[in-house]
Amino acid sequence: MNDLLAAYGNLIDMIFLNSIIAYSVWLTLSANMFSMATGGFLSLGAYTCVYLTMQHGLPFFAGAAAAALAATAVALILGLPLLRLRGDYFALATLAFTEVVRVVALNWESVTGGALGIFNIPKYTDTAVLLIVFVLAVYFCWALEHSPEGRARRSMRRDETPAAAMGVNIFTHKLALFAASGFLAGLAGALAGHLNYFIGPNDFGLMRTIDALAYPILGGVNSLAGPALGAAVFTIFPEFLRFSNQMREIILGAVFVLAVLLLPNGLTSFRGFRGSRRRERRMGVREKGGG
Amino acid sequence: MTVLFQQLVNGFSLGATYAVFAIGFTMIFGVLNLLNMAHGAVFMWGAYIGLACVADLGLPLALAVPAAFVFSGLLSVSYEIVIFGPLRKKEAHRWIGLIASLAMARGLVALAQMIFGTHVVRYPTVGLLSGYMEMGGVRVHTLQIVIFGIAVLLMGALAFMLQRTRMGRAIRTVAFSPRVAELAGISVRNTAFATFFLAGALAGVAGVLLGLLFNAVSPFMGETILLKGLTVVILGGLGSVPGAMLGGLLLGVIEVFSVGYVSSAFRDAIGFGLVFVILLIKPSGLFGQTEAARA
Repeated sequence: MNDLLAAYGNLIDMIFLNSIIAYSVWLTLSANMFSMATGGFLSLGAYTCVYLTMQHGLPFFAGAAAAALAATAVALILGLPLLRLRGDYFALATLAFTEVVRVVALNWESVTGGALGIFNIPKYTDTAVLLIVFVLAVYFCWALEHSPEGRARRSMRRDETPAAAMGVNIFTHKLALFAASGFLAGLAGALAGHLNYFIGPNDFGLMRTIDALAYPILGGVNSLAGPALGAAVFTIFPEFLRFSNQMREIILGAVFVLAVLLLPNGLTSFRGFRGSRRRERRMGVREKGGG
Repeated sequence: MTVLFQQLVNGFSLGATYAVFAIGFTMIFGVLNLLNMAHGAVFMWGAYIGLACVADLGLPLALAVPAAFVFSGLLSVSYEIVIFGPLRKKEAHRWIGLIASLAMARGLVALAQMIFGTHVVRYPTVGLLSGYMEMGGVRVHTLQIVIFGIAVLLMGALAFMLQRTRMGRAIRTVAFSPRVAELAGISVRNTAFATFFLAGALAGVAGVLLGLLFNAVSPFMGETILLKGLTVVILGGLGSVPGAMLGGLLLGVIEVFSVGYVSSAFRDAIGFGLVFVILLIKPSGLFGQTEAARA
């Protein structure tokens, strides 16, 4: 066990971290919100936590809590106007947020270290912390899915108009989910900040955001296991292609495209992972197309 | 005053290339309801093909531009063949296409790195284009005129094609409703090919133009322009071709002015900051139209 941790510790850490991020994205996706704000929240969380621990000497958990709360607050402020926007405009506006955060991080040198980033960050994040947060995140999503909120969300995802007619307050639900997603992403950002001794403004840009979206989408949005499965597969798989940086990207791209073409509803659309069809029909989560 | 005019000249030549790029992006959205995140990769490949024609084959620019046009158009059509067409047939969620196109873009960027190297390369100085003329203290480079001219020509040709030709009518019908188009005997598949070809071809030429304007071509230029394209498309309203033209020029001018009067550090943020404000005031973009009237 110890050998395993020593050899693959970093990889295991990354799987947990990416899974946490994947659940943060899943919270928005499962309510038909294509949010590209994840990169911005991660960045916000990472810089907030690192700033508080390194420059103000706060303990790690206090910094991480502050980071998560800061991202939640920003998500609430951001969500109030943006959630009025229709699908693609919402996606692009949240991308605009991520980019603005990146440019601010690039230029606010006294706090973020500018383009060079911040070095020598103490490593507080270990596998145990990541595992605990991961389990809590999964539990949160599971409990949510089996609560009245989950039922409301599933009806919203199918069609918002009848859901609203049945008394679901669409806006409040979406805002709450967006805030929860911000909380989780902010927390993940704090964990990421103290994981690799270094953060830079380009760690949390468009590419990181798209990767984060790819985990639950490729894993399968209609299942609770989807985000973690997607994150695990698409964190482990690139490790096998370490022999060439560019070949790796090409093969990865090809495999992504193939995976999508063969399993357009995600990895969890494999029969084995999917659970019984009856249960799914009862939960009303089997659906195709739309959006 | 001269400074102001100088900024306008610079802004318009930059904005024209943004517009040419964004038109294709907005067309694919307007006609096929897709967000094609691999549009930037086509742009980058177009820039390299143009460069290869000029630098390696010694062709004049008048041949390099059509070469980039055709190559990028075909590359763009390959997206439809490999990704978007099959996904449409499987009725997959459109998020899937977005993710798949990004994966494709990453592969294409890596391929460009392998073939052309990761460093920034330059267009050889083209004799005729390095000149400039001065009008009342405002310096207008021949290059800027050529770029602006090509951009306006392409946009004019596209507008004509969309309004007056059979193909253009087919594209507009599919944009209105694919089902109506099929009822009218229009092949959605062929229209999709035409749309992807035109969009990619324009992006490829935009790549050559921006490569000339900044005198720099790199495998990573696609991601930057994709973000600019998104900004332009929101400014102009998703799916609106005239909106993309105006939005492109507007973004070019705003960027040049922000560098001139505010700070170059926040140039990229100003475009997105603007997007933010505009979406809050007018949620369908600056020149946004109703759904049925787009493209």
